[in-house]
Amino acid sequence: MAKDRTKEIGAFAAAPDDNLIICRCEEITKGEIRSAVHDGMFTLTEIRRYLRTGMGLCQGQTCSRLVKAIVASELGVTPSELEPAASRAPMRPIEMRILARDLGGDQHE
Amino acid sequence: MKRYDLIVIGAGPAGLSASIEAAKRGLAVAVFDENAKPGGQLFKQIHKFFGAKEHKAKIRGFRIGEDLLAQAAETGVEVVLNAVVIGLFPEKEITVKIGSDVRHFKADTIIIATGASENMVPFEGWTLPGVIGAGAAQTMMNLHGVLPGKRVLMLGSGNVGLVVSYQLLQAGCEVVAVCDMAPRVGGYGVHAAKIARCGVPFYMEHTIVKAEGSVQVTGVTIGRVGADRQVIPGTEKHLAVDTICLAVGLSPMSQLADMAYCAMEDNPRKAGYVPVVDEFGETSVPGIFAAGDVSGIEEASSAMIEGRIAGVAAAYRLGFIDKTALNAQVQELKPALSSLRQGMFAPESRGKTITKTEEGCAISENLLRVGFIAEDEISRYPGVTKQKGVHPVIECTQNIPCNPCQDACPKKCIRIGSQITALPVVDESETCIDCGMCVASCSGQAIFLVNEDFAEDYATVTLPYEFLPLPPEGDKGFALGRDGQKVCTAEVVQVRSAPAFDKTHLLTIKVPRDMAMKARFYKAEV
Amino acid sequence: MSNHAEVLIIGAGIIGCATAYYLAKKGISVLVLEGSDSIGDGGSSRNGGGVRQSGRDPRELPIVMYGIRHIWPNLKDELGVDVEYYQEGNLRLGKTEAHLKILEVLTQRSVQCGLDVKMISGVEAREICPYLSDSVLGASWCPTDGHANPLLATLAFYRRARQLGARFITGEKVAEIRKLQGAARQVVTQNNVFEGDRIIVAAGMESRPILNTVGIDVPMTPLLLETLVTEAVEPMFYQMLGTAAADFYGHQSTHGSFVFGTNSGLEPYAKPGKTVSSSVSASAACRGILSYFPVLADLKIIRTWAGWIDSCADHVPVISPVEEVPGLIVACGFTGHGFGIAPPVGMLLSELATGSELTLDLSDLRYDRFKAR
Repeated sequence: MAKDRTKEIGAFAAAPDDNLIICRCEEITKGEIRSAVHDGMFTLTEIRRYLRTGMGLCQGQTCSRLVKAIVASELGVTPSELEPAASRAPMRPIEMRILARDLGGDQHE
Repeated sequence: MKRYDLIVIGAGPAGLSASIEAAKRGLAVAVFDENAKPGGQLFKQIHKFFGAKEHKAKIRGFRIGEDLLAQAAETGVEVVLNAVVIGLFPEKEITVKIGSDVRHFKADTIIIATGASENMVPFEGWTLPGVIGAGAAQTMMNLHGVLPGKRVLMLGSGNVGLVVSYQLLQAGCEVVAVCDMAPRVGGYGVHAAKIARCGVPFYMEHTIVKAEGSVQVTGVTIGRVGADRQVIPGTEKHLAVDTICLAVGLSPMSQLADMAYCAMEDNPRKAGYVPVVDEFGETSVPGIFAAGDVSGIEEASSAMIEGRIAGVAAAYRLGFIDKTALNAQVQELKPALSSLRQGMFAPESRGKTITKTEEGCAISENLLRVGFIAEDEISRYPGVTKQKGVHPVIECTQNIPCNPCQDACPKKCIRIGSQITALPVVDESETCIDCGMCVASCSGQAIFLVNEDFAEDYATVTLPYEFLPLPPEGDKGFALGRDGQKVCTAEVVQVRSAPAFDKTHLLTIKVPRDMAMKARFYKAEV
Repeated sequence: MSNHAEVLIIGAGIIGCATAYYLAKKGISVLVLEGSDSIGDGGSSRNGGGVRQSGRDPRELPIVMYGIRHIWPNLKDELGVDVEYYQEGNLRLGKTEAHLKILEVLTQRSVQCGLDVKMISGVEAREICPYLSDSVLGASWCPTDGHANPLLATLAFYRRARQLGARFITGEKVAEIRKLQGAARQVVTQNNVFEGDRIIVAAGMESRPILNTVGIDVPMTPLLLETLVTEAVEPMFYQMLGTAAADFYGHQSTHGSFVFGTNSGLEPYAKPGKTVSSSVSASAACRGILSYFPVLADLKIIRTWAGWIDSCADHVPVISPVEEVPGLIVACGFTGHGFGIAPPVGMLLSELATGSELTLDLSDLRYDRFKAR
């Protein structure tokens, strides 16, 4: 969907709960997320590239929904209008030592 | 590469049900699950399930889990545990971490049954130790035998919050309050009533202002919210708790479907981002199915049927059964699924304000506001009658898909009929024999046997009791009302336990006759 | 809002965003059209972050050298975002005699262009980066190379350009460039027609079909590259890493995570269309990385991702005006090493678009340099 990034969303206004940590793994606050939207980061993909939200050990399991709600509210849209950021392997964090031991598909049984 | 007919990802209720149906029809099936134990959430579910016989109603969740595992073993399903699926790649290839190796497998059909994860809600102090998911609390108690805390605040009045609150009480915790931003209790009224009569207060239109404590939770401040969903200044209330349980909903864990390029939708009716599936659970990628919570949050009962349908559909896709067999199977399963999706709590009813039952009875507003039915409301329901001698009083006041009470009564005193969500009706022309089967069969613990003619000036009330230790016969204590407040002194005159009651004990207490319609729980004198 | 700008840029990757920034800074009206929903969705978000001179083709070496001297060190202040630029050197590692031969050739070539790069022994390499395995026999060492965060750098250019008035529209796929009265003038999308006095095509691998609509072709193929990122750990080293065997490249970021680019050898055969990581490349990368850095064995991989790069016939980009289509400027075919040179390329494109004198000569990078054998 075409989105003009010049959309006027008003200036960033500080709020009392800006210090609230939203992404626990990367310790990103609500204020940082809101402020990033005002910096032009209008998609969840951009937010996570810009701030690293959801890029930590829990892989966004905890905060994705929360970040989405904050971004949507800042943009004045409903959360379901925002396309979630893409899902990628590995589904759980995996040690390099284990990934390196890739036995392929032929060793089973 | 090792190739299966069907790979199922997730050994929960949906995944196991799917694999059993497929294996029964001759498919070579492997189920991968990242946990050390199979069963998904089933083994945490120590309560009796709702529904009808085909939904395994009145059977406790963990028993259903045991049953599914036995069937999986019988049908030759290969269940691989401690197996973390890393990714779902093109050509239906998965990579799996098993022990400290990575292995690759392929299948001609894949069923994604990865379930859901708990939602969180941020507030000041939400990252303190002691703030946990309600599901996590349930895991600690019911799988590991560890108490999550001593004094607990439950945030969220949906079924998860209510059921876990009850289990916390059973485990010996004090549930200090259930609090919810919504104006009305979100879960089944019978679940709310179960904890309200144990004395748990409900704070509706309340939310957490902050969790107190510096290294762990030492208390919580809650406050009333206004129409703008903000806390109204001056309404703050401090509660001394050491644990805050969050039961604010679940989100489908649909990442594998997204990674496999299945068409996805953000659907509030399904509680999140889910793959778009057809009536068989097949996604937009031919041969990849989704079943259970991953394709929309519902109860385990629905997940099992969705799983079965997907398993049968996979068998059809690979030519193990023909179209006639597929249709016959699905025609049998579909009504079972749709019957679960009826009533006041159906996905279609989400967000609607319901004021009357299907029968036209006004809904108990008190039940929705504070978790129990007010005395002046109770007589309007068809399960509540006044009769001579022992008779059932059924405080089931919402249209939910559940009917075991109807079959439990050998004298056919209780009638629901073919509409599974109908309120149970007590047939006054039949005579109750005080067998207690209805009391034990009600998953909502909403049936009481009342005898107002027990003795001069005294009545008895037989109530379902799932706490240990059981009070002995002759024990003296107090009867509690629906609101959990003491209404009078009471004496335990009979304690009944039977295999057929499946661990729901029947406590008969003697109370003054005018308390017969008030006394709904028993508390021993301390 | 008007659909006209002095300069239309097709593509909001780091090249498009940097160009928009330099133009907006000059007060030129800019409109950037991006086909995907997010800024920097192509190679800009899927690379190892190298800001590297060593190993570069002599034709593009002057551009990156200019960038490292004049732009990268000040970018943080200029854009108001820490783009996590480190100038701690580049180690290109070798484990066999054959590897060392490859490194010597690359080193020779760079020295001839005036770059401070030399061969060092395994022992010297371990003095620079003590975490290296003993199996490393030698390395090429370029102390003025470095790395930055490509995700942040792209978004930082976008953010600053936007603040300076550049207009960005995402989710606006370009169908066609149209000439009006002999000059490239219009850009047609599904819903709109935009007009510009100059049109810059910087759309990565999408550039080819777009250029085709005005009769221009650049010989390049899409190549699927994969990147992975680890959990964060304490700072260990900030050198940029590469290998003679080209089995991986990467660095540790400010955040503490390691970002590695992978090379499974199967990249040219990725299926067209869907951007999917392969089931084998992350494992291949881990095997490669651990053979040089066994100390990282317990580090967890958090994510992998794949993206298309525009691999040019001679592995060097096209940065060029198209005289036969007046008004059209091309910047594509960066072949996976566009990130490090993006800031100076943005500056040069802004010069091309405004007709100013070019800071560096671009004649080796013309669009019409490709000749049959």
